[in-house]
Amino acid sequence: MSHDRLPVVIAAAAGVAGLAISIYLTVVHYSALPLVCSTTAAVDCGRVLSSGYAVIAGTGVPTSMAGVAWFAVSTTLATAQLARPSSQNLAHIHLVWSGLGLATVLYLVFVEIVQLGAICIWCTVVHILVLVTFLVVWIHRSRLTM
Amino acid sequence: MAGHTPRPRRPATKRARKQPVRKPISRTPEWLAPVGVVAGVALLVGVFLVIRYMNTPAPPRAIDSTSTTAVVAAITSLPASELDQVGLGSATNPIKRISGSLLTDSTGKPVVFYLGAEFCPFCAFERWGMIIALSRFGTFSGLQATTSSATDAYPNTPTFTFRNATFTSHYIDFQPIETSDRNGSPLQSPTAAQQALLSRYDTSDAIPFVDFGNQYAFTGATYTNPGILDGMSWSQIAAALEQPGSAQAMAILGSANLITAATCQLTGQQPASVCSRAIIQAIEAKL
Repeated sequence: MSHDRLPVVIAAAAGVAGLAISIYLTVVHYSALPLVCSTTAAVDCGRVLSSGYAVIAGTGVPTSMAGVAWFAVSTTLATAQLARPSSQNLAHIHLVWSGLGLATVLYLVFVEIVQLGAICIWCTVVHILVLVTFLVVWIHRSRLTM
Repeated sequence: MAGHTPRPRRPATKRARKQPVRKPISRTPEWLAPVGVVAGVALLVGVFLVIRYMNTPAPPRAIDSTSTTAVVAAITSLPASELDQVGLGSATNPIKRISGSLLTDSTGKPVVFYLGAEFCPFCAFERWGMIIALSRFGTFSGLQATTSSATDAYPNTPTFTFRNATFTSHYIDFQPIETSDRNGSPLQSPTAAQQALLSRYDTSDAIPFVDFGNQYAFTGATYTNPGILDGMSWSQIAAALEQPGSAQAMAILGSANLITAATCQLTGQQPASVCSRAIIQAIEAKL
């Protein structure tokens, strides 16, 4: 694997991992599957995922569904860049998409810390994957534009 | 110097003549921007933690049993017309129809089962609506004032605990379980039958969990922002509930109407003075 393709490969891997977690959280929301998560004072997935913020405002759609959509698009963009590694357009679109994801993550972290006072460990892993995606996409685009 | 032969001067090469005339400008390192982003995110998280700390209200002053009785009396004697006026208010409806056989106690009365914990802020909020709603079907005694955890979400939310409460009713058997005190220490445990309910209908282990005779159930609170009770005393909340337009009344009385409607489904629409009210009928139609 060439050094230049590594950021895109990482973005694709983060996309697949985030997609898997988001699908798991969505399935748990709609089914009777138990949520695997430890509960301490600050970490409580149940509290976060049963709060009003666990669904997209004004709908019954779980927020994790938005995660499924975001990671699906991000993985698709990363895969497309693996096929066309020198495409500046793809890199630019992916950077904008990652920026939107990171902004959403910051809002959700605000909700967890300030509004709910609890952290969902699954959500945190997803948030880190979005941050990693943003960083590697940024690096990839910077290399292309140099 | 003896024996020292001076070296001939090396002729200037082409390479040597091409020495840069100024120091080259170094490129910004590739890692600098990503590190900056990570630092920015970390800073924001730190700011969030500070906001959280700054906005954590002090616990309201504890009230004695006489004041507790007065507050409970006030909120359980609100005029039905006010509850009608609020309707669903700002409450959300998490109540779901479930497919169980009607759960009754040994006397044949439908069971309303509640599972919560004293530390839990959503339980703290939900108890206000539950007390108001269930008091339309019976009478509480032994309710004690308490607050949710000081270190949880919506810290120190004023509420009452069902820990030592009793409920007498001709229509339903209310079975509350408070699993932990406000510090997280264990209090009460569900029976095997109640545990079976939880395993079936509360698979995410969320609290509060309320089962209406195995016909309806919900987890979580019927209002998304228990923070509307932040910094208020029990008496202030009781006073706010007498104002139908207040945020507290819209949320708590809306929640009470939802719980009333679900309970009416169990009692064969009894008592008629409660269940036949137009707003309750309208909410029942949505369940």
